[in-house]
Amino acid sequence: MKKILLSLLALLTVFTLAACGGDGSKLVIFQNKVEIGTALTTYANAWAAKNDVNVEVVTCGGDSCAYGTQILAEFQKAEQPDIFVIEGMGGYNDYKDYILSLDGEAWLTDTDLEFKVNGVAYGFPVAVEGWGMGYNKAILTAAGVDPDTLTSLAAYTTAFAAIQAYYTANNMTDYVVVSMAAGSGMEWVTGLHNFNGYLSSGLTPGDSSVIDNLNDGVVNTARLQAYADWVELLFQYSPNSILIDGTYDIQVQAFDSGKAAFIHQGNWIDPNLDEATFEIGYAPHAAAAGTNDAIFISAPSYYVINKNSDNIEEAKKFLQDLASTPEGHDYMVTKAGMVAAFKSVTLLPDGKLSRAMVEWMNEGKIYSWWQNDMPSGFGMQTLGPIYTLYARKTITKTEFIARVTTEIQDLG
Amino acid sequence: MTNERKATFILEIIAVLLLVAFFFPFFIVLMNAGKTSQEIINAPMAMPSSISQFYINVRNILTNPSVRYGRSFFNSLFITTFSLIFINISSGMAAWVLVRTKKKYSTLIFMFFLAGMVIPFQVVMLPLVRFLEVLRSWTGIPFKDTFHGVILAYMGFGAPLSVFMFHGFMKSIPIDIEEAATIDGCTKIQMFFRIILPILKPIFVTLLVLNGLWIWNDYLLPVLIIGMNGKVRTLPLAVANLAGSYVRQWDLILTSVVLAALPVIVLFLFAQKHIIKGMTSGAIK
Amino acid sequence: MKNLKSKILNGLFKIWVFLLSIPLVLIYVPIRGIVRQFRKIVLKKHDVKHHYQGHNRTLLALEKGALGSNETAQTNRNFIYFILAAITPYLLFVIVPFLMGIYFSFTNWTGLNTGNEIFIGFANYKNIFSSFAFAYSFYRTAIYSVLNIIFINLVAFLLALLVTQKLKLTNVYRAGFFMPNLIGGLVLGYIWQFIYRNALPSIGGILTNSLISNPDTAMGALIVVITWQYAGYIMMIYIAALQNVPTDLIEASKIDGANAWQRLRTITMPLVAQAFTIAMFLTLVTSFKQYDTVMALTQGGPATTLPQFLQNIFAAPNRTVESLNLMAINIYDSAFVRYEMGVGQAKAIIFFIILLIISLTQVYYNKKKEVEL
Repeated sequence: MKKILLSLLALLTVFTLAACGGDGSKLVIFQNKVEIGTALTTYANAWAAKNDVNVEVVTCGGDSCAYGTQILAEFQKAEQPDIFVIEGMGGYNDYKDYILSLDGEAWLTDTDLEFKVNGVAYGFPVAVEGWGMGYNKAILTAAGVDPDTLTSLAAYTTAFAAIQAYYTANNMTDYVVVSMAAGSGMEWVTGLHNFNGYLSSGLTPGDSSVIDNLNDGVVNTARLQAYADWVELLFQYSPNSILIDGTYDIQVQAFDSGKAAFIHQGNWIDPNLDEATFEIGYAPHAAAAGTNDAIFISAPSYYVINKNSDNIEEAKKFLQDLASTPEGHDYMVTKAGMVAAFKSVTLLPDGKLSRAMVEWMNEGKIYSWWQNDMPSGFGMQTLGPIYTLYARKTITKTEFIARVTTEIQDLG
Repeated sequence: MTNERKATFILEIIAVLLLVAFFFPFFIVLMNAGKTSQEIINAPMAMPSSISQFYINVRNILTNPSVRYGRSFFNSLFITTFSLIFINISSGMAAWVLVRTKKKYSTLIFMFFLAGMVIPFQVVMLPLVRFLEVLRSWTGIPFKDTFHGVILAYMGFGAPLSVFMFHGFMKSIPIDIEEAATIDGCTKIQMFFRIILPILKPIFVTLLVLNGLWIWNDYLLPVLIIGMNGKVRTLPLAVANLAGSYVRQWDLILTSVVLAALPVIVLFLFAQKHIIKGMTSGAIK
Repeated sequence: MKNLKSKILNGLFKIWVFLLSIPLVLIYVPIRGIVRQFRKIVLKKHDVKHHYQGHNRTLLALEKGALGSNETAQTNRNFIYFILAAITPYLLFVIVPFLMGIYFSFTNWTGLNTGNEIFIGFANYKNIFSSFAFAYSFYRTAIYSVLNIIFINLVAFLLALLVTQKLKLTNVYRAGFFMPNLIGGLVLGYIWQFIYRNALPSIGGILTNSLISNPDTAMGALIVVITWQYAGYIMMIYIAALQNVPTDLIEASKIDGANAWQRLRTITMPLVAQAFTIAMFLTLVTSFKQYDTVMALTQGGPATTLPQFLQNIFAAPNRTVESLNLMAINIYDSAFVRYEMGVGQAKAIIFFIILLIISLTQVYYNKKKEVEL
């Protein structure tokens, strides 16, 4: 017995030593996109071998690995990540003591999507993403709806009614007009993406008047009214099985199987659209009064370099190579399936929604992303639940507006 | 049939029905682990069309680079085994002297241990990470991202419940045996390992099970101390990593759930007799 | 005068060094013992006297100085050595961080300004006590815990009664009912999320609408999950207690013509009262600390409106809250989602105090009952 215990003890010592054989000069990249984790690791390893640098990619994202928890734990250590991710002003405000200015980097000339505060560049755009109302061209055509006309609330009202009538006439009972989920766990779609309509629809890109007001606790009442009409319309045409009970999978599955005319999601669902053979396009969100002629396009997140890093030069080179080498382009577009944020990248991913988004981008029809500039937790934790209640019809549209108003005023 | 036998028969039926109800969730998981992602979403309550899909799913998990099943399994096994040995022996020793020393301070120390049972993990988790860094700078020994760090942390967090349970059980052991042993010239440490530990067997087994399940399945502590990444990753972290993306690949998640739970279930079935005997032999008081 | 001062300082310093050396010695001596045993048994080497011996003697002398060398000292030494292995990690990994946490609850720590946080007094606590969301979270946790304790204990006790009857497959039943306990919270949450979101709605009928997306049924759904998981464990505690009920007592009462219910009430229940205390304590603590299952199941949702009485108390009309935002989740959100680590710590301290008071009261009352019966 004693012998066994002692040999176990010896074994433990051996493994303990083995486990802490870390070395100091390692470039640690801490990122939050689970779906590109493997591709990025492969790329980073190849890059590391070529440049004789130690690189480690740490992926932590989605809803089970709270990125916040992990990154906070990382920042309590002496050895912190060298490159990490922020998503906008909210994240910048939290991490600003750690973020290095990237002014003067060569890749800055090749993109318009870098993250800037007061004219100083801080963030490297990870990709370009966008969302609008993704549509199934086949259904729209069959129902006699021209997607190009979908720019206002009135146009959508007519179109949704026409599609519904088409379903009824052809006895297509399990078809839905809008596939959108607003239940618990889907607050990122409502409280962030949908709410961005209030923050940026109908404004010129870069116009931050509404988000600035929001952060000061001021509500643009007329805009909020118009926006609520849009939410009402979306909810009205989205079936409860998806709107209230649906998860992301159920929502995407409805569109993928060709049984939904519209989907409220961004181009990141491309890898999940494996059955879809129909033609797909994007139409704008009619979130503001009048004509809405753009979709929401931006860099979803930015790589930033830790000021305290020992490997700043390596980190800078890593980002530069990502933006300017063929291997970097190949990784971003072909391997990770993202739309690159750099003009010199000529590759395009295969995804149908990505291509639809690029069309809008090339025409310059862009509305900004302001949802990440709200305080941390405000969109998902504070606004999201209000949408759930409205979707469940526990509250009326008037109450919906009143509650959103109260929460915004609380920020003042 | 007499009345009594009739009653027993009815109870037997009830028990079987309850057992079926208790197994229903397992059944659903197992059933869906043998389907493709599409089939799961479309018909979650249908039987799998063919058994071969299950093998395909299992192979996908075993070869999945973000799961690294073998590695994670080994880490989990290693951490659990050593944490269990250390928790049980250290808590048993502490509880023994706490019971046998009839002093005010031993009651106080016992209360001090008990207080740990109501400390929520959320209170200590971030200061803990921060303190580990302080410890490292003082002693030069790293505690984060290491096996010994996790094991020591489990010893700390496991101590309250284990001391509490050993303490409760030990109160009922008559002191005569120990006195006799002392006359025979046993030292304290010999006495503990040769005489006390064998008597403690039922509660020892119980705590092995309880602490073992907790450590094997724990999520937050390994996330904080060893992180999601890296060389040291336990099975729950691997499963969480898989389920982490917004898209729920249910075929992979459910299969990995099966594979993560399987070792425990197999072990439990093998040792079931001892475990149940240990747990129900008046060990928990 | 100056001389005296430096003498005192010097003496204090010596005492300080001496105090510091005690734990070192206490740790060193047993390690030395283990190393010796290791050399002897595994490496089959017998200790030879070498130059470290002198060193060791000094340390041993130090230890003797600290603990003395008579019989009482020997007892004390044993006491300390036996308790050391359990108490050191407990102190280092639980108590010290806990005390640090108390300090941080009085600062503006965000988790990122580590080392630069400022002491801000009771501001975080004031902030919390004026927050309707935290009050609601406490209210929901209280309801949840009460229901949970009742359900788990009821189910567990009935199961225990059932499997202590003379049935054919008692061991199979016991193992079967214990089985859900083998699966951890997070994995369990995923399993049940799948069941509630995908499997059950596909059956149709009243199950078409997922139980976890309705604020009125979500807590019930969660209680089902936790009872399923936990009842088997608590059942074991009751089985242990029931087996200790002397059979001759039962037989005697049968002869006296007592029916099953009377037997249960007058003989069995009083004899298992102690088991009730421990089982209720364990369920209470687990209910309060519930985190990963809820997180994996609904992430705190679904949304609902703040109840009227809280709206009145906090003068906060028409507020939206999340119905399963239990305290552990609420704490986690302030700390890691909103980056208000100081507030999160303060909430956690309040949580600890509440839990401490409730569990002490519960144990006190149950113990009183045990005596009365």
